Amino acid sequence: MTRADYIVVIFAFIMLPYLYMKYWQAPVQGETAQILIGTDKKMEVSLDTDRQFSVEGPLGTSLIEVHEGKVRFVDSPCRGKQCVHSGWLQQTGDFAACLPNHISVAILGHDHVYDAINF
Amino acid sequence: MKQMLINCTVIYTSCLRQLILCASIPFLVTACGSQLHEARLVAFGTLVDISTWGVDSETSEKAIAAVESSFNEINSTWHAWQPSTLTHINDQLAMGEQIELEPDKISLIREASRLADASNQLFNPAIGKFIALWGFQNDDRPQGPPPEPTAIKSLLASAPSMKDLVITDTSLKSTNAAVKLDFGGFAKGYAVDQAINILRSQGITNAIVNAGGDLRAIGRHGDRPWRVGIRHPRESGIIASVETTKDESVFTSGNYERFFDYQGIRYHHIIDPRDGYPARDSISVTVIHDNAATADAAATALFVAGPKLWRKIAAQMGITQVMLIDDKLNVYMTPEMAKRIHFEIDPKPTIIIDDPT
Repeated sequence: MTRADYIVVIFAFIMLPYLYMKYWQAPVQGETAQILIGTDKKMEVSLDTDRQFSVEGPLGTSLIEVHEGKVRFVDSPCRGKQCVHSGWLQQTGDFAACLPNHISVAILGHDHVYDAINF
Repeated sequence: MKQMLINCTVIYTSCLRQLILCASIPFLVTACGSQLHEARLVAFGTLVDISTWGVDSETSEKAIAAVESSFNEINSTWHAWQPSTLTHINDQLAMGEQIELEPDKISLIREASRLADASNQLFNPAIGKFIALWGFQNDDRPQGPPPEPTAIKSLLASAPSMKDLVITDTSLKSTNAAVKLDFGGFAKGYAVDQAINILRSQGITNAIVNAGGDLRAIGRHGDRPWRVGIRHPRESGIIASVETTKDESVFTSGNYERFFDYQGIRYHHIIDPRDGYPARDSISVTVIHDNAATADAAATALFVAGPKLWRKIAAQMGITQVMLIDDKLNVYMTPEMAKRIHFEIDPKPTIIIDDPT
């Protein structure tokens, strides 16, 4: 092997623990909530600041709350309130949707450990 | 089918992680030319996530648009309570009329009927009247109260079953006016199968179609398998995970999906055809099988079967990979499922491994 080959191999071994830690450890908690409104509007909110805010959909106003790293629908103008009953979302991949009002909330992490969540 | 299709939102993202890996250590990653494309649709009253790997964005977008059309068509054909081909069929069945149907519709009904037979009618798509009686044939969450016992008893006496159907190659008829078809435990799987067929026809060999938590995965995510997390039935987060191989469907039926609470009692949407009440004892059943429609029907049937009967029904349905969680959080599994599933909780639950018999 040439000197360059040794450098490359050493670099690879140095990187392995970092890559393992970064990409294979199970995430405990998401960092950001992605909110989809209708067909084309998308917003991302950080979960590190507690607050409530309103999102306008075709049926009316959905009220969303961020609290201690979690997010939930507080109220929505739909009849069934399934989005409100979904409760707090916290972990990467968690989501809830108010389909009548065309609004969904999903938790994003800095990386996907799972390609899909089955439930 | 739970609710009608409302709208469609598609979002594409590139796989940042792979790009970072490719840029920083190209010698560790061999599939740098590949790319992940993710899309989200709203269909069947739920979110449908589609991931493709290894094709360009144009191919992925075109295929996903075709999948969306397919979901729309299946929704408008098989919706159980909003005006659809199925509601029209149900009206005619109730009048005892013979209905002429296209081969693809006959084929779906025949397959559902075959699976109902194999499950000893625990998967019973003929009990639409029970589902409606409990308020679950509705876009909104039922509020209760539960139906009167006399109403359930009366419907139970009429014993609607797929055996009441007279199916020919071109027509359908019912000998029992109480039959009301509801393919809620089957149509989503059928739609996922159709979606995978469409993706394959467009040259996509690595993909996941995840319809509201029930999915089929083909191929791989680049140089590794697709990873699927199975959500905990009682708490937030993941209870277990599995890596799919080649072509597999992962379907779960749980009592937490659609339900209402009334006077402190929870009533969920999976009705036991034997007594007309929500099935007891199981809180979730996960099935892995190559065919999504079969996995869908089996998850429903095994949920109803519960801890005492699941092994027999799984054997009859040809299902070898099952995980059933009962109301005490005991986990029952087949050996084939136990070999590959990885629990993500600590301490691990009590696990009982048993062959289908």
